[in-house]
Amino acid sequence: MPKCTINGVELEVKDGTTIIQAMYDNHQKIAHYCWHPGLSIAGVCRLCMVEIEGNPRLQIACNTVVTEGMKINNTSLKVQEAVKWGLDFHLINHPLDCPICDQAGECGLQDQYMDFGQYTSEMAEPKQKKRKVVDLGPTIVLDSERCILCSRCVRFTDEVSKTNELGIFNRGDHAEIGTHDGKKLDNNYSLNTVDICPVGALTSKDFRFKQRAWYLKDSETICNGCSTGCNVKVYFNKEGLFRVKPTYNPEVNGYWMCDEGRNVYKFANKEYRQSQTLQLSQGVWKQLENPGKAAKDLADVLSKVNSSELALVMTGQQTNEEYQSILNVFVNNFKNKNVYHWNSHAATADQFDGLLIRGDKNPNTKGLQNALSSFGIATKWSDLENGIKQNTIKTLIVVGPENVGVYNDLQEKFEQFSNVKNLIVLTTSNVVKFEGFKNLSLATIIPMKTFVEKTGSFTNYAGKVQKFKRATTIMSTALTLDEFASLISGQDLQINPVPIQDLFVADNTPVDQVRLDHRKKNEFLFTKG
Amino acid sequence: MSDTPTVLEQKPASSQWYLIGITKGLVITFSHLIKNIFNKKQMMTINYPEEKYDYSSRFKGNHILTVKKDGAIRCTACMLCATNCPAECIKITASEHPNPEVEKYPISYEIDMLRCVFCGYCEEACPVDAIRLGPEWQTPGLNGADFTYDIKHLAYRANLKGGVQSVVDDKERLKAGI
Ligand code: SF4
Ligand code: SF4
Ligand code: SF4
Ligand code: SF4
Ligand code: FES
Repeated sequence: MPKCTINGVELEVKDGTTIIQAMYDNHQKIAHYCWHPGLSIAGVCRLCMVEIEGNPRLQIACNTVVTEGMKINNTSLKVQEAVKWGLDFHLINHPLDCPICDQAGECGLQDQYMDFGQYTSEMAEPKQKKRKVVDLGPTIVLDSERCILCSRCVRFTDEVSKTNELGIFNRGDHAEIGTHDGKKLDNNYSLNTVDICPVGALTSKDFRFKQRAWYLKDSETICNGCSTGCNVKVYFNKEGLFRVKPTYNPEVNGYWMCDEGRNVYKFANKEYRQSQTLQLSQGVWKQLENPGKAAKDLADVLSKVNSSELALVMTGQQTNEEYQSILNVFVNNFKNKNVYHWNSHAATADQFDGLLIRGDKNPNTKGLQNALSSFGIATKWSDLENGIKQNTIKTLIVVGPENVGVYNDLQEKFEQFSNVKNLIVLTTSNVVKFEGFKNLSLATIIPMKTFVEKTGSFTNYAGKVQKFKRATTIMSTALTLDEFASLISGQDLQINPVPIQDLFVADNTPVDQVRLDHRKKNEFLFTKG
Repeated sequence: MSDTPTVLEQKPASSQWYLIGITKGLVITFSHLIKNIFNKKQMMTINYPEEKYDYSSRFKGNHILTVKKDGAIRCTACMLCATNCPAECIKITASEHPNPEVEKYPISYEIDMLRCVFCGYCEEACPVDAIRLGPEWQTPGLNGADFTYDIKHLAYRANLKGGVQSVVDDKERLKAGI
């Protein structure tokens, strides 16, 4: 355990820790491009210069291991000059087209320039032109001019995805990133290269030009794309959600996430959402005022239903808390244990690609199974199918999946459900076409909230319970399953308004000298002499 | 009252003799009247709306989106103007341009003129001289008229005669290797 001093702070680090790792762990600022905590060391950008006492020359922090008694700093004038002119070298052939570059606002070059650079370019030579808007594959566009050849993306395809599509071709100022002839950058983790690219050389086709980075807010949540439960950030503004990026969690996903998971935001956006509360009776679809009232009205209907004729279908896509409350109402209020687990991925559930992707495309299958067994419910899917066929199940509540993209049997399953006398569908998405179902006689469709709009927890494949909090609201009128559960049990929703004093913090700004009565008389602090 | 602090000028008692002031004022009025009768050209007022006054080209009036040499819109959809706009009245939708040299361009660019405060910050923010505040200052409209101007109006309205050319040219820039 060597001890060292970095910028005057004494640290004790593990054997073999590099200087940059030590600084990173202690939240000290150091310029770097090629080093990434999740990849091997390349030492090519030469930006992470540090001065070590007793060593006449500057060293790179990413490839120097801390030894006992090292005195390190990266704030001296010598270091600052080195970083500044290192940056100048990076920018020699850089096009600086920030206005049309998607990375602007979160770009390593912009950040380091503001922190360490701020020089005027000394170059008189014209810039080396390279390929722009190169189609690298189904998900990614490359701009060779912007690339600073840090080789992070190459190391990613080499070490993490192990697909080896990318390489650096040519020499000198002609060097550029590319794929071998006819090959595409096409793997299940390709979009991670966009995240780790410190500049705007690799951009995501899906996100390209949709928004500027500074218009987006982010919030941490859990990906609902599969049972791994990667920790992610969703980026959104008032127009909706725009992208998903991974956040670091060493126990679940490390620094990465899969490409499929990047799409989960789409099903939470308005285009795919059920916005209206609809009711079908006597062959006409009627739009109801709001889902809360519809659920409240259902309380009367459900309390009159014979318990054996009522059933509930659920998927592994809601939160643990919601399962608890709806099962609680079912088991304790309705004295009913006809709860069925709709799992379209049961057959592939054990598949695993060795990195992150799992065959079970539900984030909370484990959570639902645990909840069902804690209420002592053990049912078979075939019982439900028989019940519908033999007409013993007359009222069916279906809590549909949120991430509808992974449910291929959606239409088919709902067609089956439509044979019951009274079908109640709680759904976030509008993809199922109920109009086509001939046997549907009485139905209610209630819009629900998605995982980005609620606070709760998912239990992943390994039984790890991960909490997440609400990011934003897309569909303000939609209900959560919690709310639905209390409404159908006959309770009213509890709204706890925060007292206004708690919302605003008193400050010391002096009160306005112009009072209302002054304003009324159009007379201010001075009076006429 | 008199000991209350004041920022108003205290007039001397002599100012109460207002007849002098009135006479002075009338002299100015009549001297202008006579001057205008005998020298109409020098007259300051005009017969609006038959006659119109041309403001200097530096006047900050209605926006113009400039065009490139080939007549295509100059804006690169960087949204710096929209970011800088204090009234939040610029709305841009960007898209991928078929020509990789252009790369990004706006498929829709709208300014809500009724919210605009004509501060000129958009003009200042633009890196490519794509938006200017022009000398045009009249914005009449009937009840219910739409004051959300789109690209067609901002860049190609009839009185711009095919568009105002931007001073920033990408082709020249690329040739010079900057
Ligand atoms: S990579 Fe960074 S510096 Fe380069 S054009 Fe993009 S935003 Fe600007
Ligand atoms: S494309 Fe990005 S990540 Fe890859 S070498 Fe260039 S700058 Fe680095
Ligand atoms: S002049 Fe000012 S208020 Fe008007 S569009 Fe430009 S930035 Fe916005
Ligand atoms: S007008 Fe100028 S600042 Fe506004 S989006 Fe277009 S290029 Fe950018
Ligand atoms: S981060 Fe050390 S050389 Fe690039």
